[in-house]
Amino acid sequence: MDKFILKFVLFITKIFLKKEVDFEKLKIIAETKLMLDRRRIRVAMKNSLAKKDPSNQIFATLIVYCVLGLFVSLLIPMVKDIVISMTIIHSYVLFMMAMTLITDFSSVLLDTIDNQIVLPRPVSSKTFFVARLVHILVYLLQFTIAVALFPIILTFVTYGVFVGLASIFTILLTVLFSVFLTYLLYGLILKCSSEQRLKDVISGFQIVMTITFAIDFQIVPRLFDVDKMANFSMPIYWYTYFLPPLWMANLLQSVKTFSADMPHLIMILLAITIPFFTFWAMIKFLAPSFSKKIAALGNAGDETTSEEKNAAKNKIALSEKLSAFVCSNKTERAGFELAWKITCRDKNFKIQFYPSLAYILVFAFVFIFNKSKDYAATWQNLPNTNSFLWFVYLPMFTMSAALSLVAFNENFAASWVYFSRPLQKPGSLISGALKMLIVKFMLPIVLVLFSFAMYVWGYKIIDDFILGVLNNILIFIFLSHITKSYLPFSMQPNVKQQTGKFIQVILQMVIIGILVGLHYLALKIWWLVAALIPLSAVGCYFIFSTIQNYSWQKIAT
Amino acid sequence: MSIIKISELKKAYGDNIVLKGINLTITAGQIVGYIGPNGAGKSTTIKILCGITPDFKGEVEVMGMDVRKNAMEIKSKIGYIPELAALYDVLTPVEYLKFSGKLYNMNDETIISKTNDLLRLFDLQDKANTRMTAFSKGMKQKVLLISGLIHNPEIIFLDEPLSGLDANAVILVKEILAQLKIAGKTIFYSSHIMDVVEKISDRIIIIDKGEVMADGTFEELQKNEHESSLENIFTSLTGDSAQTHTTANEFVNVLKN
Repeated sequence: MDKFILKFVLFITKIFLKKEVDFEKLKIIAETKLMLDRRRIRVAMKNSLAKKDPSNQIFATLIVYCVLGLFVSLLIPMVKDIVISMTIIHSYVLFMMAMTLITDFSSVLLDTIDNQIVLPRPVSSKTFFVARLVHILVYLLQFTIAVALFPIILTFVTYGVFVGLASIFTILLTVLFSVFLTYLLYGLILKCSSEQRLKDVISGFQIVMTITFAIDFQIVPRLFDVDKMANFSMPIYWYTYFLPPLWMANLLQSVKTFSADMPHLIMILLAITIPFFTFWAMIKFLAPSFSKKIAALGNAGDETTSEEKNAAKNKIALSEKLSAFVCSNKTERAGFELAWKITCRDKNFKIQFYPSLAYILVFAFVFIFNKSKDYAATWQNLPNTNSFLWFVYLPMFTMSAALSLVAFNENFAASWVYFSRPLQKPGSLISGALKMLIVKFMLPIVLVLFSFAMYVWGYKIIDDFILGVLNNILIFIFLSHITKSYLPFSMQPNVKQQTGKFIQVILQMVIIGILVGLHYLALKIWWLVAALIPLSAVGCYFIFSTIQNYSWQKIAT
Repeated sequence: MSIIKISELKKAYGDNIVLKGINLTITAGQIVGYIGPNGAGKSTTIKILCGITPDFKGEVEVMGMDVRKNAMEIKSKIGYIPELAALYDVLTPVEYLKFSGKLYNMNDETIISKTNDLLRLFDLQDKANTRMTAFSKGMKQKVLLISGLIHNPEIIFLDEPLSGLDANAVILVKEILAQLKIAGKTIFYSSHIMDVVEKISDRIIIIDKGEVMADGTFEELQKNEHESSLENIFTSLTGDSAQTHTTANEFVNVLKN
């Protein structure tokens, strides 16, 4: 698709082209950049598509955007009030475009390699500038089409040709505005802090983006309460004047009714002028200082090191305090601390793991409200049910995913360090990493779920949570025990993904079934929970000491 | 005939002064080794000479042209090979060379035939259409060398051209540089590998902290500094050999504790 759009954009540029711009060079630069885009691995898609050859990553992403767009656009025929449906559509476009630009396009904007590759060649700065512009334009257009294709089609179908055409226009305005927002965000961060900080913020956004994807697909279709929304209408409040999607929606309403009062006229004016004005301001004021900063990024030294040095001098890291508390030997402590620090800092781990934490929310929602449409009544009735068992065992789903994430790492080659050290029992490294996962992720999750459950069900669930935590740990480490034992961060991702054998999966299901079943049974017999707690604790101790004592033969490479 | 003329070249990044007034004149057809410790200003000088960094103080002329005014002209007649294998590694060598060749206004047929021949000579013909993500540093360096030389430039600037290459490739590159010199090209390169610099350079320039510390043929440097090897000349000018000895001694002592 990008090739077609490129042809179109190049055709238009050719008409306006000045003599200083070398068209052939412009074309090859834009083509190459788009090829790089196609091959770049997209963060939001990483989980699902990582295994495939990234020959056309961008296409898969666009398809996902299209499907999401289809979901959202179903609102248009369902909701009667055009202002509401269009506000949602334009907010959606604004959000998706800004998020895409921030997360994905950052690698293009912050790419200082350009300076080394293109600048030494005889390319005039005008040509290079126009090539970048063309590239950005093609990039934006293909995402705009993916995001807005179905919304626009359904607008045409629902409201006719005039509103349809106007919606193309308002969506383009919204995209323009999202570009401004992205620039503004980058500009602000660059102004306040260093390149490293900017990268951190961007990876934060990437995590938000992935979580949004996850939640969108699971929750949004369930949330549609069309009956209520269908007859609702949206008056103009004072803050309406500050929200761009509302300007667009009101503009479209005016087009639909062929009429406009004073507030609508103001909105239409805002809708048309502000995006152009901000875009102009961006090119005039933001962009020049921005590109200077970016150019400086490549040359600047590290600024963060002194900060970290001070921090390291003054106090013992939290992970080191905790490891003294939960680990039984030095190797295990080393494993615990290393895994703690890497999971704090490794972007890939965060991007893959944090969204799965968000899934806990999704699951909780889905399990509790699954059957009924009447959320209020379900909520009222909640204390009388045994649904808290879901809360007790929810962390299990997420934690089992963390197991392989800790084994696979981009920087797997650094694991030579384990093999070169005189370790008798390398299993302690694994048990250390497992303990880290439990202390750092499982316990906080349990605490949150526990607080919520306390609020709903009261004190009677305390013993259930104690048993639940122990069972969660038991299942977690048992899972680690029966699957291949990889040292922390020692495996190359995507090459030899952990393929659970059928027997192992069955075994896992059986043990989960037995433990949860026993727990369910224990709800009926008052003393059983108390009796199961020590049993589960002994089980945990036994499996942990088995893992600690793994010899080198047991370690998979 | 002087092909590069640098006078009173100064450059600072913010408060960090990188070059403190460099004066150099380079004769055409020479191989010039430009050496110095990390952070001495080697890469910065090379980038200014290539017209990549137009923002500096002083006068710099390449082939009689001002680098600030005639950057395009200069860029099309020189070749620049950067350090650290900076290239788009999701492309294949053929795609990358086609891209960089086109930026020199070369036509497709020339690029394709040259690319094929050059990749074959570097033993990369079976990798010609493989993406470079999995390439070793040496293989990427070979592709970079080709991309910087494909348009047959008059002056060749190389920043650490030998890093990551295996012994055979080092010998090959050395021989290529020697042949280029015979063909009348000027070569200006930076390196950390002293014995290579010692052997192939017609002229050696040592810089430290943004200033020229020594300049001349290897024999002249030997005479001036009363040292036999370039390594010794280098440490006597840019480091403190007595200090180095004590540091090493202390290091070993700490290990014993």
